[in-house]
Amino acid sequence: MRLEISGVSHRYDQVEALRDINLTIEPGEIVALIGPSGCGKSTLLSIIGGLLKPSEGQITASGPVPDGCLNPLTYVFQDFALLPWRTVAGNISLVLEDHKLSKAERAARIDEVLEQTGLTDFRNAFPKQLSGGMKQRVGIARALAVRPAVLLMDEPLSALDAQTRILLLDEFAALFARTGMTAVYVTHNLNEAVRLAHRVVALRRRPGTIKEIHTIDVPIDQRQEGDPLIVAHETSLWELIRDEAIAADKELENVA
Amino acid sequence: MFSSRIRRVARGAMAVATVATLSTALVGIAHAAEKINIATLAFVSSAPLFIAKEKGYFADEGLDAELTFFRAAQPVSVAIASGDADFGVTAFTGGFFNLAAKGALKVIGAQLHEEPGYDGSAILVSNKAYDAGLTKVEQLAGHSFALSQVGSSFHYMIGNVAEKAGFDLASMELKPLQAVPNMIGALKTGQVDSMIIVPHIAKPLANAGAAHIIGWVNDYVPYQVGGLFTSSRNVEERRDVVAHFVAAYQKGVADYRAALLATDGNGKLVKSDTTDEILKIVHKYVYAEDPEEKAFPKIRNGAMFITQDAKLDVNDVKKQVKWYQDRGYVSKDANPDDFIDTSFIPPLEAK
Amino acid sequence: MSLDHLDPVKSMNEPVRFRAVGFNPRSNPLAAWGSFVVLIILWQIGCSTGFISELAMPSPVAVSKSLWQLIVSGELWVHLAASGQRLAVGWVLGTVAGLVVGFLVGMFSWARSPGVALVSALFPIPKIALLPLFIIWFGIGEPSKFATIGFGVFFPTVINTFGGVDNVARNLIRMGQSFDMSTWSIVRKIILPGALPTILSGFRISSSIAIILLVAAEMIGAQYGIGALILSAGSLYQTDQLIAGVVVLSVFGLAISWLLGRLDKWLLSWR
Repeated sequence: MRLEISGVSHRYDQVEALRDINLTIEPGEIVALIGPSGCGKSTLLSIIGGLLKPSEGQITASGPVPDGCLNPLTYVFQDFALLPWRTVAGNISLVLEDHKLSKAERAARIDEVLEQTGLTDFRNAFPKQLSGGMKQRVGIARALAVRPAVLLMDEPLSALDAQTRILLLDEFAALFARTGMTAVYVTHNLNEAVRLAHRVVALRRRPGTIKEIHTIDVPIDQRQEGDPLIVAHETSLWELIRDEAIAADKELENVA
Repeated sequence: MFSSRIRRVARGAMAVATVATLSTALVGIAHAAEKINIATLAFVSSAPLFIAKEKGYFADEGLDAELTFFRAAQPVSVAIASGDADFGVTAFTGGFFNLAAKGALKVIGAQLHEEPGYDGSAILVSNKAYDAGLTKVEQLAGHSFALSQVGSSFHYMIGNVAEKAGFDLASMELKPLQAVPNMIGALKTGQVDSMIIVPHIAKPLANAGAAHIIGWVNDYVPYQVGGLFTSSRNVEERRDVVAHFVAAYQKGVADYRAALLATDGNGKLVKSDTTDEILKIVHKYVYAEDPEEKAFPKIRNGAMFITQDAKLDVNDVKKQVKWYQDRGYVSKDANPDDFIDTSFIPPLEAK
Repeated sequence: MSLDHLDPVKSMNEPVRFRAVGFNPRSNPLAAWGSFVVLIILWQIGCSTGFISELAMPSPVAVSKSLWQLIVSGELWVHLAASGQRLAVGWVLGTVAGLVVGFLVGMFSWARSPGVALVSALFPIPKIALLPLFIIWFGIGEPSKFATIGFGVFFPTVINTFGGVDNVARNLIRMGQSFDMSTWSIVRKIILPGALPTILSGFRISSSIAIILLVAAEMIGAQYGIGALILSAGSLYQTDQLIAGVVVLSVFGLAISWLLGRLDKWLLSWR
């Protein structure tokens, strides 16, 4: 599915968060949005998925969707957003229950995504019993259950410890390589961006505009941790946003 | 200037205090003005106390009487049992007898009395019930009856009326409503069929067409409504004070009877030479917020009979105690002979 | 001496002293029951020796006797049945109405400000003050008793419910919306369970309020009921029966609290 972001601007009261963003995400492409805090990357992701109404501009989605797709634009959240009173299987079932699926179809889908994310043994566990990594796997499984056309991932690894992050990063890479899924991936971690994205969009702050779009030509499944080419991409991206990051660091927390 | 005035006031106060101390000391040798505290309600039933106070009967007896006003009857007896007040008058209820049975109170005289020929409590029915055919006391069986509480004097009165009129009290649905205004409200709106209430409430209700009077309690039973009482301690330790108080109270009762209970040859209530004077005195305490032309009729409506010399109908009180005991409202160990003291005022002779 | 330990440290040569002492009260069920027993024994001693006059407070023995009398005569069950029914109906009415209004106030802007304003204005009104009006509106039968308890329960339930709805994590609601869940599904599957812990703890408060209001509710036209029993015992100075009634109310409260504890365990097992 192709996503066309055209002339999107957004203001929160006095603060101009985004100004005139134009970007097209091609089918099967992974786009990472990076930038220092306050650059509007999460705002842009919310606008793309229809959770926030932009002050100006619009998003157009076009093209075919996968078989059995229930929710073309599907989020994976930083804080997992799992219902603590439902089991792993129950949390996945939640997003299927509003759709016309037979009981058997629903059960089949749940089994399938649990299998894909290695959660089969945890299907009856409650979220509080799971580690952070397991919780995010449930978040991924839930997203996959609706057979999305585009995954909208909002800093999905930020709440996890370093080791878990490495493990999940590999799983994401494998997932994208296997499914050829379209995804928009917001992160402040350059390493994640260069491991997962075909194109990295660097945003500038106040107001959020596109500073540069960085293309990484290595196929995702061939990228390795510590690969000099990948490290070079990471370094040049850091050069690109460093000054912005320093400025953001020195700024007092904005009330908005 | 201001401070000098304060100093002058202070000096004056000191002088007064010195004189007061001296005079108390001097009088103390002869006759101390005994301080007594009288617990009262702003009802006509307390009128003899107001009269005795205003006409100086307490002072004549060497008593320095202070009136304390209560808003409900119950605290009056509690205040006297606990020693916060010395004398009071109140209606007899199961609660009063229970309290008296604990030994802290002595009944020494009479308050109101239901007496044929004089105004007394009326038996009222709601318009709704009246229109539906409830026009005679004998028909009350099976109807609802508003009262303040079980074991109250209302309960006793309807019980006695039932007995005399020949219907079964158990067939009536008793509705305890805590307070008289609630009872009136429930009767007016037809939510209860009947109640018994003092004449100064019953008559205006009937006159306004809000209810019907179908009978009078004193048509069925003479009834000692309430009594004059003091603490057991006063009776034991301050006999002379009690005697002086009783004397003053009796004078108040005599004035009350002369002014408010005077009758002509046919037994009809008439105005006497002292009526207006006594009404003026009572008006200072009762319905004080109303102008005289409104208050006087209300006071006269509420002026129930009091026996001569405030003699207590001891036999009736014993009958009441037994009635409450038979129904479990008063403890079995309550003995009227223990809490009635007739050494100050002789009991009412049986007719 | 007391300030010694605040002197500057010059050098150290000793085992490190354990410093995190105290500030950690632990519960002891035995002591909880023991305190009741000790209190009752002291009370009985006070009454037996005459230190506490019979007028001031009936002895535990007298209270037990009158409680026993209520039980063997069967009166207690009549009173309990009457009160239990009033509590149940009044509480359920007040709670259902409170939950509905609480959800509306918690979820919709149009209900928010008027709802909060009205509840804040009406909550503090002592319901007993409205009894004469309740008699006119609802009569002196059971409806006015249900209303007294129901009104008392309604307001805290509203406040608690919309507080609970407010506390449901916004990100969970956004998650539901991002998966295109229907509003009804979001209310039923996300907001209701999310607000449930707060709502259940509110039940403890509202059930206590219901018991407190029972006496007020039974002031008007109640021949039977624990509240009516207490009121008539009070006006008859049957203090032993009065305290017996209070004990029954207190046990009633404990029983309800225990039931709510079970409900908590059952509904909130995921916590």
